[in-house]
Amino acid sequence: MAEPGRVGSTSLRAPTPLTQGLWAGLRRLLRQLGAPVLLCLAVQANALTLELREARASVTIQGQTTQLAVRLPYHWDRVHGGLQGVADFELPFTLAELPDKPYGLYVSRLGNAYEIWLNGVLLERNGDMRNFNGADYAKSPRFVDITPGLLRAENVFRVYIRVDKGRRGGLAPLVLGPEDEVQRLYERDYRWRTTGSMVVVVLSLLVGGVALALWATQAVPAKPGQAGGRPLRDRLYLLAAIAELSWTVNVGDALIETPPFGWPWWGMVTIAATAVWVCTMALFCIEVAGWGRHPLVRWLRRWILLLLAANPVVTAAALVHGYALALTLWYTALGLTCLALLPLFVQKAVRDGSIAHRMVAAALLLNTLVGMRDIYAFRVSATYGGTTMLRYSSILFGLALAYVVIARLRSTSGQVRDLLSGMAAQVKAKEIELQTSYQRVETLAREQARADERTRILRDMHDGVGSHISTAIRQLQSGKADASDVLHTLRDSLDHLKLSIDAMNVPPGDINALLANVRYRLEPRFLACDIRLTWDVDLLEPITAMDASAMAQLQFMLFEAFSNVLQHANARTLCVLAHPRETPCRGVRLQIIDDGRGFDVDQPRGNGLSSMQERARGIGALLGLASAPGRTVVEITLGSAPSGCAVVVP
Amino acid sequence: MRGFFATSVQRCAELCLAASVGTVAEATAWLDDDANTVDVLLVDLGLPDGSGLGVIRHAVRLHPRCEPLVISMFGDDDNVLASIEAGALGYIHKDSRPEDIARTILDMRAGASPISPMIARRVLSKYRSDQVGRATGPPPPSRLPDKSLPGTDPDALPKRSLLSPREQDVLALIARGFTYAEIARLQSVTVHTVQTHIKNLYAKLSVNSRSEAVFEASRMGLLPRHG
Repeated sequence: MAEPGRVGSTSLRAPTPLTQGLWAGLRRLLRQLGAPVLLCLAVQANALTLELREARASVTIQGQTTQLAVRLPYHWDRVHGGLQGVADFELPFTLAELPDKPYGLYVSRLGNAYEIWLNGVLLERNGDMRNFNGADYAKSPRFVDITPGLLRAENVFRVYIRVDKGRRGGLAPLVLGPEDEVQRLYERDYRWRTTGSMVVVVLSLLVGGVALALWATQAVPAKPGQAGGRPLRDRLYLLAAIAELSWTVNVGDALIETPPFGWPWWGMVTIAATAVWVCTMALFCIEVAGWGRHPLVRWLRRWILLLLAANPVVTAAALVHGYALALTLWYTALGLTCLALLPLFVQKAVRDGSIAHRMVAAALLLNTLVGMRDIYAFRVSATYGGTTMLRYSSILFGLALAYVVIARLRSTSGQVRDLLSGMAAQVKAKEIELQTSYQRVETLAREQARADERTRILRDMHDGVGSHISTAIRQLQSGKADASDVLHTLRDSLDHLKLSIDAMNVPPGDINALLANVRYRLEPRFLACDIRLTWDVDLLEPITAMDASAMAQLQFMLFEAFSNVLQHANARTLCVLAHPRETPCRGVRLQIIDDGRGFDVDQPRGNGLSSMQERARGIGALLGLASAPGRTVVEITLGSAPSGCAVVVP
Repeated sequence: MRGFFATSVQRCAELCLAASVGTVAEATAWLDDDANTVDVLLVDLGLPDGSGLGVIRHAVRLHPRCEPLVISMFGDDDNVLASIEAGALGYIHKDSRPEDIARTILDMRAGASPISPMIARRVLSKYRSDQVGRATGPPPPSRLPDKSLPGTDPDALPKRSLLSPREQDVLALIARGFTYAEIARLQSVTVHTVQTHIKNLYAKLSVNSRSEAVFEASRMGLLPRHG
């Protein structure tokens, strides 16, 4: 039977200033290093704090109970690997003097379920002692208040635990002392194991969430013709997201006392999360190093994915069926893979890596070292309680990862910005080009309009003034024509010229204006010939289909018709009628009726009438001729849709 | 050409040729001489040393009773309208017969100013749109649509248009090719009334163009404001 040890009896003396300074420095160091494994030193240095390590244990496994003396910590898996059971620890201790202020009890780790009794009084109970593989209360450190009345000179702690197999159950040393001192120890431990884990969880969740959002949203549309046609997403973002989210599960396990499903299934989930974390980090590193196209990497990727796929089977073998070696072998294979990859990655980073690559390499190196330390601490040495350091060093990994993601996003958005500004410049250039071509087209159109106008004037001069003058010259040269004939020709010419000039100002389609002008110009000649003019012209709607050229043609036709009456008809009266025409289609009917001697419409004199026919056809008008002595009718039918319109010749 | 017109005037017993000059300078000098009086001024627009428009304005200013007639080759509306606004009361075509020249002069003295359909159309569209642009009063009661030009809205005419409704009716009919006599018959008035409308119109256009110049000048700050 071991006596409960009073630890550090020398420290009962009052501390000297030197030791005080050293102690303060050590505490500072401890705070900075945050190494909970060093806590025992701190505990030992405290005057009134007791650390109870010696216990009598009664261990029951599969119905068989064994009595033995143990020294805490009692790491169940080390002693009874692959078995579950319950244990009853009895820790007697003596107090030289009874405390007058509240005491506290701090246990770094105990469980998976437990009861703590002091002198026959239950201090705290967590979990069901008979329900194996249920909730796990060993994840957090425990602190229990002890009222001064409970303590006597001779005391005994009894701690009952229920331990599931492979669940890091057991009992850490009990630390008893004044409440404020012990609570400080407890809180420090709690900070490191629970609060710290929460911070890591939040950070990982944040980085993972952002990476996942980037992966989902920052898709580059597939180039046309590319196989699949699906948008291209950056695999780097996805790997970062999976790594961080799986790490969230892994670290978050420390905060979950009651898992959603029982042990060992939940244990498989956390181990799988770790496996996913390691594997995706390895794949992430491959992407960062730019080895994606290396032929060997294809095999490496397959190997890593194979390891990942094998993990659930191996974990099940270890946790459910007790083949722990399988898991150990699996860990070894993964570790060797990572260790083989590490120097290559670091070497490349040092030689020609980007900042991101170097950051990841540094994080990887540190994490590997910390990971090895954790493996040593928790797998090789008998550390019980405390926490893994990897969860904290992984923050660096998360930050590096976030940096890589942000750098990638920045470079991508930079490319997009360049692309956009390039496109804006292109649009600008196209705009200028378009404007230039528009101006060119406009210039061409103006030139075309000028050319058309020139053509029209030339044709007018050719058909009108030119032909009249040449007729006058022929008349003079022949010597046969008398002066009145030549005068007549020249007057025709001048009238025609005036009408041509007028035609430039007649609004297109305005038949009233056209008729009025022709009358105005020829009126003196009607007066001279003593022909009485009857003007029966309605107000006419403009014919929109008639352009300036068509108007000139119509003017020519009217001139020709009047000219015929003046020269050949020997008429007394001339009647001009212009009426709107509603049927069969909208338009205007012009009639020029004289009471002259008439002519044979089948054998018209000269080419004046045939020229009129051609012009009428040219502008889509219909020309009707009817002649008998005493009544000759020239009818011109104009309309917006002349084709198909029947014309009745009177 | 000057000789032809001088002869045409001289041949007419009712007319007396006061002078015949070839340049703006000579014309201005002759008009400046108080000893000279003139009833009718025949002016060609294209003179060797300037435009005949200046001579018309000068004559109208110095001899308010003088009635200028512009000699035009084609009677094209741009030139004729500019002349009317300068103060001309009519125009004669260059290719007119000698007897027509004398007749036009005498007709004008008797109160008949010629106007071509094109000019009537231009006057209508110009002064109508001018007035519409400046109108402040309510639109006039609508008139018969067949009395106005196609494509124009009689309701758009302002109350205090430069052109009276009657004048606008006359102009619209001239623009459709009707003669003064036909218009008189259509409107049941005498030919003289129609002629008076046109002559008044000439005077209005001239006055309007002068007041418009004043309006423009004062608007641009070239003239002092009264009051």
